[in-house]
Amino acid sequence: VNYNARQTESAMDTHKEIEDQAAAFLAQRDSGDWTDCHQAQLEQWLAQSTARRVGFLRLEAVWDEARRLKALSAGLAPGVVPAPGEWRHTPFFDSKPALPAGEASTAPSLSLSTTLARKKPAGRTLKFAAIAANVMLAIGIVTYFTWNPSGDRYSTPIGGIASVPLQDGSNITLNTATEVHVALTPEERHIRLDDGEAFFEVAHDAKRPFVVQAGDKRVIAVGTKFSVRRNGDEIRVVVTEGKVRVESRSAEAVVPPNSPATALDSQGAVGAVGGVSRDGGSGEVFLTPGSVASAGDAGIVVEQKPIAEVEDDLTWRQGYLTFHDISLADAIAEFNRYNVHKISIQDPTVAAIRISGSFRASNSAAFVRVLGDGFAIHAASAGGTTTLTR
Amino acid sequence: MDEPLDAWFKREVLAHEGALVRFLLRMWPNRHEVPDLRQDTYVRVYEAAARSRPQSPKSFLFATARNLMADHIRRRRIVAIDAVGDMDALNVLIDTVSAEHRASAQQELRRLAEAIDGLPAKCREAVWMRRVDDLPQKEVAARLGISQKTVEKHVMKAMKLLANALAESEPKSPERMGSTAEQSSIKSKP
Repeated sequence: VNYNARQTESAMDTHKEIEDQAAAFLAQRDSGDWTDCHQAQLEQWLAQSTARRVGFLRLEAVWDEARRLKALSAGLAPGVVPAPGEWRHTPFFDSKPALPAGEASTAPSLSLSTTLARKKPAGRTLKFAAIAANVMLAIGIVTYFTWNPSGDRYSTPIGGIASVPLQDGSNITLNTATEVHVALTPEERHIRLDDGEAFFEVAHDAKRPFVVQAGDKRVIAVGTKFSVRRNGDEIRVVVTEGKVRVESRSAEAVVPPNSPATALDSQGAVGAVGGVSRDGGSGEVFLTPGSVASAGDAGIVVEQKPIAEVEDDLTWRQGYLTFHDISLADAIAEFNRYNVHKISIQDPTVAAIRISGSFRASNSAAFVRVLGDGFAIHAASAGGTTTLTR
Repeated sequence: MDEPLDAWFKREVLAHEGALVRFLLRMWPNRHEVPDLRQDTYVRVYEAAARSRPQSPKSFLFATARNLMADHIRRRRIVAIDAVGDMDALNVLIDTVSAEHRASAQQELRRLAEAIDGLPAKCREAVWMRRVDDLPQKEVAARLGISQKTVEKHVMKAMKLLANALAESEPKSPERMGSTAEQSSIKSKP
């Protein structure tokens, strides 16, 4: 190789020319039309000068970086490009909506956004709901909707989210792999959660209690917002607004020793329930905003958390999972709920790694990549399962 | 040392491009020359790292940029010394700049999103569909009603615009504002 010749050629490149040529190579490669011949041309071009190589690496890095925008595309159908600035209203950014609600949302979602807007106070939450509505329409999850006297059945597949407006003005958001049965009668709004998790925004109606039945447990509300997640016989209830009552027919209510007084007033609970006897092996608690209740065979355990924290528990409505310092094992269990392709961990030291952050629920591959980059965790896929090791 | 040089260079050097460009813009009187200074700085760092990776890549990057500017001043004698300031001030600045905290992931995402929003409309849509949605180029062309070659041109243009937008966007984090304040106090020295 003639060093002088190389110097002469590279000296003729301005940064602008290098940028143009590097971009042309990268765009060609990105297009998918990339042969060995193209690769050889690129390598030859790069070998001519370090200036070319660093110029190429610089654009390549930026183009890789642009992939991170995936974080802002939660729930949008491929090919749906959000309007400039819309990303400000995703859960990644705290800024208040710049436009009045509804104005920024795109046309197809108008009707559903409006439905939600009617029931929700103005502000950030509303905007998120509007985005969530976009999400649901865009994904086009199939739900069953047939009116019959015994009620309606709705379900979502793994990875699906769906919003179901009810006749009384309430709204149910179904999370991944969820099945509910809805029966509205003059006496009661009865929802049976057969599987999965749902978030309920209950229109106020003092005369018609809103009852969510999950196995032998009942969650009763008048006008409020809460979620119920069912895992076999266990349920987990998160309340963000108003007050709900949880009844468990199978066990006594249990309160952790240092739980704040708001979590449970057992006297009040007995009084309010009337007919239900605690001696008969029943438990019940009242939950207020920020309450997270787990009801299983052992009884009902209530934790009181800041509202912001429980809201993070519910970011699945926007297509995200939000983790705060939880073990990788728990994080993976969450991802597995949303994806057919499962992730498994054999190594306990890997399982114990602590994780924080927001991730798109449907994109476990991105999560695995983050683990690779951040924790040097190795991923191997075989037979529909990705196994993580050090 | 097992890591390929290119990957190392992206992570340890190119990641500081924003800070480097701001440093050059502040110190160099002619902003049109900054892209060339940036490129020459990268060339020197890359070639040095090919022989032996520096212990502290970010400090090495800024020291290289400073030496490069000093070389230009010595060689050309056309840049007034007080336009650049004395070399001691440059030293102080390097310390301040390299002490900058890395922007949080959220700030980086914000800058990226702002940079994307700054692209021409068609260009932005093409980038989104290719990068975010992973749609094949053929499908992007069909959706936008343009030829595949035009999609490729948009992608080319986007890469260049994004690279330069990211390099020059000013992050708004408090610690960076602090470093700017530090710099103006240095400049006001006699």
